[in-house]
Amino acid sequence: MTESLSTAYPRSPGSLGNVMAEFDAAAAYLGLSPQEIALLKEPRLSLRLKLPVRMDDGSIHVFKAYHTVHSTTRGPSIGGVQFRPEVDLELVEALAFWSTHQCALLNMPFGGSWGAVECDPAGLSVGELERLSRQYLVELMGIVKPNNDILTADIGTNQQIMCWLMDTYSVHYRDFEPAVVLGKPTDLGGLVSGVHPAALGVDLCIRKACEHCRLKLDGARVAIQGFGKVGMNLARLLHAGGAKVVAVADITGAYVNERGIPVDKVSWHQESYGLLDGLESEVDLIKLDDPMQLFELAVDILVPAAVELQVTDENVDRVQAKIVAEVAYDPVSPGADRKLYERGTLVIPDILCNAGGVSGHYLEWVQNRMGYYWAAESIRRDVCDIVGQGFDSALKIAVEDSIPLRLAAAVLAVKRLAAVVRLRGAYG
Amino acid sequence: MPVPPGTFGSTAQPPSAFENAMRQFDAAAKILNLTPNQIAVIKQPRRVTEVKLPVRMDDGRIEIFTAYRVQHNVARGPAKGGVRFHPEVTLDEVKALAFWMTYKCAVVNIPFGGGKGGVVCDPSKLSEAELERLARRYFAEMIDLFGPDRDVPAPDVGTNPQIMSWFLDAYASHKRDFLPAVVTGKPIDLGGSQGRVEATAQGIVYTIRQAATHLGLNLRGCTVAIEGFGNVGSNAAKLLEREGCRIVAVSDVSGAYHDEAGIDVSAALARVKTHGVLAGLERATKASLLSDPMELLELDVDILVPAALENRITGENAGRVRARLVAEGANGPLTTEADRILAEKGVFVIPDILCNAGGVTVSYLEWVQNKVGYYWKNERIQEDLSRMMEEAFRAILETSLQYGVDMRVAAFVVAIQRVTRASEMRGLYA
Repeated sequence: MTESLSTAYPRSPGSLGNVMAEFDAAAAYLGLSPQEIALLKEPRLSLRLKLPVRMDDGSIHVFKAYHTVHSTTRGPSIGGVQFRPEVDLELVEALAFWSTHQCALLNMPFGGSWGAVECDPAGLSVGELERLSRQYLVELMGIVKPNNDILTADIGTNQQIMCWLMDTYSVHYRDFEPAVVLGKPTDLGGLVSGVHPAALGVDLCIRKACEHCRLKLDGARVAIQGFGKVGMNLARLLHAGGAKVVAVADITGAYVNERGIPVDKVSWHQESYGLLDGLESEVDLIKLDDPMQLFELAVDILVPAAVELQVTDENVDRVQAKIVAEVAYDPVSPGADRKLYERGTLVIPDILCNAGGVSGHYLEWVQNRMGYYWAAESIRRDVCDIVGQGFDSALKIAVEDSIPLRLAAAVLAVKRLAAVVRLRGAYG
Repeated sequence: MPVPPGTFGSTAQPPSAFENAMRQFDAAAKILNLTPNQIAVIKQPRRVTEVKLPVRMDDGRIEIFTAYRVQHNVARGPAKGGVRFHPEVTLDEVKALAFWMTYKCAVVNIPFGGGKGGVVCDPSKLSEAELERLARRYFAEMIDLFGPDRDVPAPDVGTNPQIMSWFLDAYASHKRDFLPAVVTGKPIDLGGSQGRVEATAQGIVYTIRQAATHLGLNLRGCTVAIEGFGNVGSNAAKLLEREGCRIVAVSDVSGAYHDEAGIDVSAALARVKTHGVLAGLERATKASLLSDPMELLELDVDILVPAALENRITGENAGRVRARLVAEGANGPLTTEADRILAEKGVFVIPDILCNAGGVTVSYLEWVQNKVGYYWKNERIQEDLSRMMEEAFRAILETSLQYGVDMRVAAFVVAIQRVTRASEMRGLYA
């Protein structure tokens, strides 16, 4: 496989406590009744599955898998599939819940679901991985459908696995049905290449945040932690918008040039070697002794795009940025979040900052249903429309009610869900 | 096979909008030299379903409601038409309205046949929970009739977007698939379309634009009288004012209000929003209350929009109509006799089946959006709605000139040709 499984989609929301805490805060803010809370909170369906798979040595190994459909009230549920050793049903339920709220926040006609297989994909052969993937979908026949539940790639899964899932479904139903799985390669109904919805979404959020903070993007100083696909494409977009990227980092370290980093050269290095290691010998910049110093640089915009809990009570007082864009999930601890809000730093919450990716999935689904494919420009425009509307609506609530953007986003999502739950009523 | 007398509507009552329409249909069929067999195929309903709906009432009693769904014609596509909740629903009425939908859809050339449904009930006497159980039972009882490619209901008298949401939910739960295209007229949050609320009024305005061009009228500065200030009349007033027209008279059940300098439309809208009716408009603005509301129809205006009830312009008052253009916002506001008199006077009439088809056209656009799962902004909706209304208007105007018939008969000629072509190309199944 050309694509590394562990880094293909290395992101999905992590600390579950926060997901529920945000909902509870929004529900309390809106004064929902216990009945409404129960209708919104409980998952519609949760499955524990066993997947017997024939291994290359002829033995049969039984894998455990989980699948949760949290809500289909606003439309078919959509969510990622994880293949990794440390998963359980509780995690999957929280992720499904999160997906429901993100789709409602963005006003997309989707509910939320999530799935996971307990396995170490790096320890499986390609054949074993394929049989495992197909077995997973076979167990979900009747649930996974273009109008009921849709799967996307997440931690430990990639385009190849999405293709196997799509093939299993299509063969089973004797119908070519690409809309059942999203994040496919262009050749099988995926988005046209050259569009980077995730990075586009972050870029737009940052632009809108700048407008709100009366900060000019042109000339603004940016530090980005994490230089994977999203971090790199974001650096390119921000650079094109006139911003000065002064620091980038990956697992090998953090690299700084106060006068601005040549984004093209750094991207070329990353694309050639996969890591930023050795960058300091090629480009005019210095490697920081402690990569965590990146968070304390004199920048306007800080983009944590790597792992969770990077800005905490310990270092928040030394953060100088006016805008923090949460590209990673939960990079800001709740305590640090409060302090940032109190002193007027705008934190763009992960659920909004990461809206570009799922917007891209939605547009892939639409195109698969029509069998008609749009040019890159119209996809970019639609991604920006979807993310922009979500951002504007959430910001409006934040400003009018004087509450943090994170709470405003949750309030907006819960409000939309509650309205639709009321409209549809109870079946029985 | 000849159609038995009384198939549509009772003959004991004064001519209804529908009976008038039937006469126009027959006139059009004659122009097209259709054979009795051809007429029978496209005139009679294809499938009539009557069911009894047992519903548990809040007090524990079970009440049985009579309900209908008629699929009149499905040659051009799935049946399309509203569901009516009203105490006076009859099967004849439902059949008649389903017939009407077949031709309305064909007039604006949307890929639908015609259908209609009804439940004999008084929704104002049902609790919310009873209404929900009744709506779900109605849908469940006929679940195999409905489907995005079979039969697509919509709101009508006594039903609303909330009831459409229950229909959607009953269908989605039963099929285990989210298929919002099974019903239209939904709230925006559940797959409804932008532009739906104003759709009928907007369609009227688009046809008025076309007619004005045809007559050499400049809409800017035209005077307009509008009868009826419900959803259609009030939005038509707002939209026509935006076109540059001067709205000199409006009316509702409380009376007719006249101001030659122009009614303050936003004040009238605000009044209806707070008071429910226009009553008192003569005190709040410079408008005067007409002593007889029927005078509104006889005002010296360029454009008259009857958007209230049927049979308002008759052989009695048609001679006194001074408008150059009459746009039928309501169904059947002109009697056949009035039609003849206005034609002699050279008044141009935009017939109801074309004029108020904006609603079903936006329903169609809602259905398309649901099928694709992609939602348009209002500008895009208006692009399609205006184009479709204009194309329909032009086709009918051409036909009217070609056959030397009025716009109403021409609308039926166009629609019958479309339905007959589809029907005959498809042939008989067995």
